Amino acid sequence: MTPVSILGIACNWSPYACYHAAGRAELALPANFRLMRVMCMGRINQALILKAFEHGADGVILLECVDADCRYGPGPEVGHTNVDRVRRLLRFLGIGQERLVERAFAADGRDELVHAVWDFTRAIEDMGPNPAKPGSAREAS
Amino acid sequence: MSDISQKVEQIIREHNLHLCLECGKCSASCPRMLSGKQYSPRLLAQKIIASPEDEGYIESAVWECLTCGLCEERCPSGVRFVDFILRLRSLLAAVKGLKGYRAHDGAVHSWMRIMTAPGLKQNRLEWLTPDLRTTQEGPVAFFVGCAPYFDVFFSGIGVQTLAFARDGLRLMNRLGVDPVVLAEERCCGHDLLWTGDSANFAELSRLNYQAFRQAGVKEIVTACPECFQVWERFVPEVVEGFDLKVTLLLDFVERGMKTSGLRFSPLKTRVTYQDPCRLARMADRVEGPRRLMGMIEGLTLKEMDNSGRSALCCGNSSFINCDAYSKRIQLERLDEARRTKAELLLTACPKCHIHLACALRDPHTLGQPGIELRPLPSLLAERLPAGPEGDPGDNAR
Ligand code: SF4
Ligand code: SF4
Repeated sequence: MTPVSILGIACNWSPYACYHAAGRAELALPANFRLMRVMCMGRINQALILKAFEHGADGVILLECVDADCRYGPGPEVGHTNVDRVRRLLRFLGIGQERLVERAFAADGRDELVHAVWDFTRAIEDMGPNPAKPGSAREAS
Repeated sequence: MSDISQKVEQIIREHNLHLCLECGKCSASCPRMLSGKQYSPRLLAQKIIASPEDEGYIESAVWECLTCGLCEERCPSGVRFVDFILRLRSLLAAVKGLKGYRAHDGAVHSWMRIMTAPGLKQNRLEWLTPDLRTTQEGPVAFFVGCAPYFDVFFSGIGVQTLAFARDGLRLMNRLGVDPVVLAEERCCGHDLLWTGDSANFAELSRLNYQAFRQAGVKEIVTACPECFQVWERFVPEVVEGFDLKVTLLLDFVERGMKTSGLRFSPLKTRVTYQDPCRLARMADRVEGPRRLMGMIEGLTLKEMDNSGRSALCCGNSSFINCDAYSKRIQLERLDEARRTKAELLLTACPKCHIHLACALRDPHTLGQPGIELRPLPSLLAERLPAGPEGDPGDNAR
């Protein structure tokens, strides 16, 4: 199977707590999975997701809090709007909407989070690498 | 900057910076400087010649310029400031990895770079409506640009750059041409080029050129002034043996109106017009758009205080360094437009459209008289309704 790379973007609160708990319990996560932490899903804008694909991600999983648990108020609304827009751009680009998923977790959702990451990774492995990966001449820096 | 000093020296020479008289006319006309930004083209020209060790200033100032070209218009000594900025940016980006502050966190530049993917398979033609006639192969193509992407990305501010594409195509159809529109068209690379990413710009140019050649295209028509500039001037620099004819949609329409004998239907309205820098100053298309507007009976064009080759920038270029000063320029431009008491603010550039649409929503403009922003091709297409095949119909009164 062609190796793929998966980026998770996690909200600092519930999902990161789940991730942390998974680490303490030594639950395995896919070796090709990397995590980026942001303070809130409201911080996830179109640029972050596009940049992940520009820099070679084959799939991006957004690990979010359940909307009602958001500590900042407008976070989910802003985040979901951004994700809806970027999904349409991914479709235009031929990257495909299924390479971007959103999953929400409560603070005690450790096992659910581990499952979600494995499920998504397997799905992306089945799909294979993102066909719209830029050539070698990526931006300097 | 000593490691690259020879290259900088060459750029200085090639763009006549040594001819600078330090008269300051450039700075006195620069909208960025006049908006209050700590930036001066005269000072940048002086520093790079006389104090190249002042890297901090130079490496930051080079990203401030809007590349609007007003300074060059005023310079009595032939300093080619805009190209100087372009080449210096390319050098600093390539050697030092520098880049300006990216508006929208660089999202637009990201999709533009993603489009360099060799295996790219886009779904970008969903905006085509059934009344628009296009082909897959043929001698004439219509180059759409990033409009489908912009309209989604900027949907929060109601941007409609696809109107340039739909109505551009509509005009071509009505003037008897069903152009090639490619599913695999990529970004023209304007914003990458002007922010210093010349490698990815060249890659996009090559891929686009190949795709259009394969479709049998000999002529590219585009509604976007930036795409036009890129295809006409910069693609030939990086694609060996470039042999496509490049036509601005407005030129195509003007010619088509003359040869077809069609007429625009009258419209009693008062409009003003935002000259895009890449048309008026850089491609000498001042009169063309005005002649077209003049063909609509009843339409009165009221010029803004600064128009034609002196037009004021829409406030941003290539999506870098958009800030409060950009906004100030835009608000001032909107004030100029409102003072004409026009009902419509027409623009020929999708980017001017985006930036002015943003400014129109600014809280500072609340309570001010409204002015509707409209693409010039849309007004023209609306005034050129389709007649029965081969019959100019009501139009040819
Ligand atoms: S191109 Fe425009 S923004 Fe840049 S220095 Fe000249 S006048 Fe100022
Ligand atoms: S207008 Fe020309 S000559 Fe005068 S300061 Fe500017 S670059 Fe120098």
